[in-house]
Amino acid sequence: MTTTALDMVPPGTRCRVIALDVGYGINRRLMQMGLVPGSEVKVLDNSGRGPLVIEVRGVEIALSRGIAKKILVEVLK
Amino acid sequence: MVVTTGKNSGREREIVVGVIGQPNVGKSTLFNVLTGEISHVANWPGTTVERKEGVREYKGKIIRFVDLPGIYGLSASTTEEVIARKYIVEEKPDLVLVLVDSTAVERTMYLAIQVLELTPKVVIALTKSDLTHSLGIHIHVDRLESKLSVPVVPVSAIKGYGLRELLDAIIDVAEGRRCRREPIRVNYGSFLESTISDVERVLSKSALSRKYPLRWLAIRLLEGDPELEKELELLGEDEVVHGVRRIRESLARTYGRELMELFVAQRFKFIDSLLGDVVVRVEKKARRYEELSLTELATALLDRLIQHPLMGPVVSFISLLILFSLIFAVNTGFPFNVLLSYLGFSELAELIEEYSISGLLGLGFTYLSTLLEPLLKTCLGPQVTSLIVDGVIPGVGAILSFLPLIMLISLLIATLEDSGLAPRFAISFHNFFSRFGLSGRAIYPFMIGLGCNLPAVLASRTALEEEERRQLIVSVPFIPCQARLVVILAFVTTYIKNPLGQALALLSLYAISFLVALLTSILTRRVVYRRKEPPELVIELPPIHRPSGKVLWWLTWDYSKHFLRKAGIIIVGLSIVTWMLLSYGPEGYGVGIEKTYGALLGKLLAPVISVLYGLDAEKAWKVGFALLHGFIAKEAFLEATSLLYGGVSIDEALRALGFTLPSLMAFLVFFTLYVPCLPTIAVIYQESRSVRLTLSVILYMIGIGLVASQLVYLVLASLTFLYS
Repeated sequence: MTTTALDMVPPGTRCRVIALDVGYGINRRLMQMGLVPGSEVKVLDNSGRGPLVIEVRGVEIALSRGIAKKILVEVLK
Repeated sequence: MVVTTGKNSGREREIVVGVIGQPNVGKSTLFNVLTGEISHVANWPGTTVERKEGVREYKGKIIRFVDLPGIYGLSASTTEEVIARKYIVEEKPDLVLVLVDSTAVERTMYLAIQVLELTPKVVIALTKSDLTHSLGIHIHVDRLESKLSVPVVPVSAIKGYGLRELLDAIIDVAEGRRCRREPIRVNYGSFLESTISDVERVLSKSALSRKYPLRWLAIRLLEGDPELEKELELLGEDEVVHGVRRIRESLARTYGRELMELFVAQRFKFIDSLLGDVVVRVEKKARRYEELSLTELATALLDRLIQHPLMGPVVSFISLLILFSLIFAVNTGFPFNVLLSYLGFSELAELIEEYSISGLLGLGFTYLSTLLEPLLKTCLGPQVTSLIVDGVIPGVGAILSFLPLIMLISLLIATLEDSGLAPRFAISFHNFFSRFGLSGRAIYPFMIGLGCNLPAVLASRTALEEEERRQLIVSVPFIPCQARLVVILAFVTTYIKNPLGQALALLSLYAISFLVALLTSILTRRVVYRRKEPPELVIELPPIHRPSGKVLWWLTWDYSKHFLRKAGIIIVGLSIVTWMLLSYGPEGYGVGIEKTYGALLGKLLAPVISVLYGLDAEKAWKVGFALLHGFIAKEAFLEATSLLYGGVSIDEALRALGFTLPSLMAFLVFFTLYVPCLPTIAVIYQESRSVRLTLSVILYMIGIGLVASQLVYLVLASLTFLYS
């Protein structure tokens, strides 16, 4: 089990959110979109530059790297 | 016999429904299908968020729908969330209609649960239910209904089914036949539950517990809710605030994270157990490429291309460029008219211009003026005639010639938004724009600005946050629009003969303008709003699909109507004011151009212009006068100059001004930056609703125009000196 920041996760990988260390407003927005500690996300697109695309609760969401960097996840097999 | 007054009986029968849903659940579509016509548009008090209402008559009842902003939850962390919550609590609608997307129930049910925790009078509409079958989703509506004890109605706004059932359910709930008595109780687990009880005890004496359900209030305060804390403080109940805060913070310490995280996670757990035997997803076999239909294949291919790390930005940029060029071409012939006339096919260019929408409209208005003029003159005299022919008709003409452009651009934007393409394109540009304090969505106003600044300012609505929107409103007007290009080209071709030099001059003017626009944006963010970080991108990417024609038309008309109503009045008014400036002087009406107030203003500006660009007084006031004209419409600068030289050709008139190369370039920099046209100013006001911001934009632009123009002059003059 590896723990890492979301922006380091390669595309096609499933992971579980451990903690979110983002600002107040964005924290609330992300949580209400289903991105809470414990929830499962799948990284769909992450080219190393520019925003990445993840799937949370069946919905695709684009996140800028600044945010992804502050989301701690554990990679699931 | 008892006679009730019309107003009272109307109010008795009217059912008020607040319509709420997360973004992308299809709220505007359903709202339009339910109400047909939007009857009332205003702003929510103290905000720039629009409030729309629509009325539907059904079975002898009048149902008034109030469209609440698209939000993810009721945490009150954004203006929109505060608006929605205030509406439900303070305006007390008969019921709240919550839209849940049947293709993403697991996510979009969150808002419904939050509303149900606040009020029991709820109807849930499962939107897009025409799509579930093909996605392999089956929803047991009856099970969901009995678990929640509120009506749940699957609907499809596009196919038009489920609407009668929905309206029936609304009337049933409004009349108390089918509804819960109490808000829903989500079980937050023994630990949080005992804390909730503790806080309820603290709150039971508070005046706020009469306004909100006690349990809801306790939960919200435990999650952390600055809005509610403010309300408590206003009531003088600081002790309650501190009491709850102590409980919250000590728990957060024990847990090592914010309590809200626990509450939200529990709420989603509740949703998962609620939906366990309600939503059945049949895993569709992955199909091979041969089995996909042509549209599916194209969609998949497009999706891959746009998101490709290297190809994405290129494909996005080229697609948007082609789309917007086509729209401008239909409207005014731009950019093909400019290109063709530059290549020497001026007859072809004129033909394209003549048969473009604005060419035909212009023709119509000239015809109208010539038709009316003799008629009016005999009945009303020359002054009133001139007011109508030179003041009112051009003003109305300006509005009407902007209208098709605005409609076409809003149609394109609506298409991109409704199909799910807009956010995907925006991702490609995020890296670039984030350097200047903007998000990738800034690509839309910036690209539109190249054709016309006015719809570009309107497109600032695409911004993610209020600060970004204001940044766009103040920076987009610097982008050289088509009208400015016409003037620039006239000057450049008159003064510079070498094609390479012409191209270089043109390119450097565009580069300077874009640089100024981008720097203005980042400066506004850093200095005015004191925000260091760029707007963070958190956007949903709804599946790409074919947009519905009906929806596109509603969105387009909505946008355009707004422009006609708000900016229209300002444009006609200001166009009459400028007519007065250009036809009256201290000696009255009909004194000749040189003695009008406009000319006096030009002469007032003359000393500055003459110092800046080395022109003598006689030429300087003419430039000042023409610049005033350019404020009404940029291309009017050319006409005005030729008029001042007694109607000679534009080439000759421009040559007569006698610029040198450095002063020409410096002047063109000023001309591009100094101020957008009058209709754009009207729209800046319409969108910002701030006189201060509008005036600041004008002053700032003139200031920057002067500074940039002087810098260019100094650089070029010293270069010329060195090489001569």
